[in-house]
Amino acid sequence: MKNESTIIDVPAESSSAMKGKAPLIGVARDHTTSGSGGYKRGLSIFDFLLRLAAIVAASVAAATMFTSDETLPFFTQFLQFQAGYDDLPTFQFFVIAMSMIAGYLVLSLPFSVVTIVRPLATAPRLLLLVLDTAALAFSTAAASSAAAISYLAHNGNQNTNWLPICQQFGDFCQKTSGSVVSSFVAVVFFAMLVVLSGVALKRH
Amino acid sequence: MAKESTTIDVGEPSTVTKSTSHVVVDEKKKKKSFVAAAAGGGYKRGLAIFDFLLRLAAIGITIAASSVMFTAEETLPFFTQFLQFQAGYDDFPTFQFFVIAIAIVAGYLVLSLPFSIVTIVRPLAVAPRLILLISDTVVLTLTTAAAAAAASIVYLAHNGNANTNWLPICQQFGDFCQTTSTAVVAASISVVFFILLIVISAISLKRH
Repeated sequence: MKNESTIIDVPAESSSAMKGKAPLIGVARDHTTSGSGGYKRGLSIFDFLLRLAAIVAASVAAATMFTSDETLPFFTQFLQFQAGYDDLPTFQFFVIAMSMIAGYLVLSLPFSVVTIVRPLATAPRLLLLVLDTAALAFSTAAASSAAAISYLAHNGNQNTNWLPICQQFGDFCQKTSGSVVSSFVAVVFFAMLVVLSGVALKRH
Repeated sequence: MAKESTTIDVGEPSTVTKSTSHVVVDEKKKKKSFVAAAAGGGYKRGLAIFDFLLRLAAIGITIAASSVMFTAEETLPFFTQFLQFQAGYDDFPTFQFFVIAIAIVAGYLVLSLPFSIVTIVRPLAVAPRLILLISDTVVLTLTTAAAAAAASIVYLAHNGNANTNWLPICQQFGDFCQTTSTAVVAASISVVFFILLIVISAISLKRH
């Protein structure tokens, strides 16, 4: 085994400025990954808070409509003087739909927590986006059909001889209108949730 | 400037060529990322083409829904001094909202076709897909609102309401009721299309 040897000339004065300027290529990439994880984690936290707010909006809508009974203080033999949500099938659908939406939101909270803990995982986000889109369509349907009936109760329709019942049942109308407004707030929250999940799914 | 010199002992070079193995790993990594990009582009392009076709179908359906509701008139062949015997979409503010909203949605779909073509041509671009996702969400909400509101009025026209003394008008205006029901069904189908479009955009946005 022959040993080779060579002579290397090392200048005595190596400038101190040259030291420490070795390019650190590998570190930059790590920084980018944690950066995108950082802003996605922020989006996930905002998503979680939006879900909590939407739970409140949906359950307030369902509860207000459910308890919107009114009985007028006079009566005759022939006419009805009570009004409740179960007198109108659309309002029944509204109460059931909003309760289901509130239940779905509560069940989706763990998935939202998972996206906070693992900001770069795409499967929970995709699942949440698909389910949120379906829930958006469902809640919009409930909210707008109840809004149409509410409008009819307020204004009536001359052409079909449908009388506006709000002129007798003022409290009932007020409560149902407030409930419809609350459900539209939940609809806006759902639209924001869908867009949030879409932005967070974005690749870089 | 004193020069220092040092002696370094270099052992016999080993038979394993270390430098070349390092290059092989690098090339493999490069090749793998290139193949992944092409494959991702491939299935995303397929999704983009499906997205474009769905948009064309949705344009057809929304235009059909809006025009069917617009032309939903009926005049009964008898009359008296006091009662109305004509029915048209403009007798119901909800149906007016329906016609206008679905027409707006059809216009939006036509305007979104170029963005869809861009996603076909550049399957890996993120910005067009994100724009489509956001605007599809808004339009989904508008379409569902119009369809559901019209559906509740159609339900009322078919069944009436005993408690509020609202009479079912479909018993006189059979044709009008049928036409409006068809329009509502068409709008509901377009809602399903929009949900599919949003899910397609989301899957295409997914990173690998």
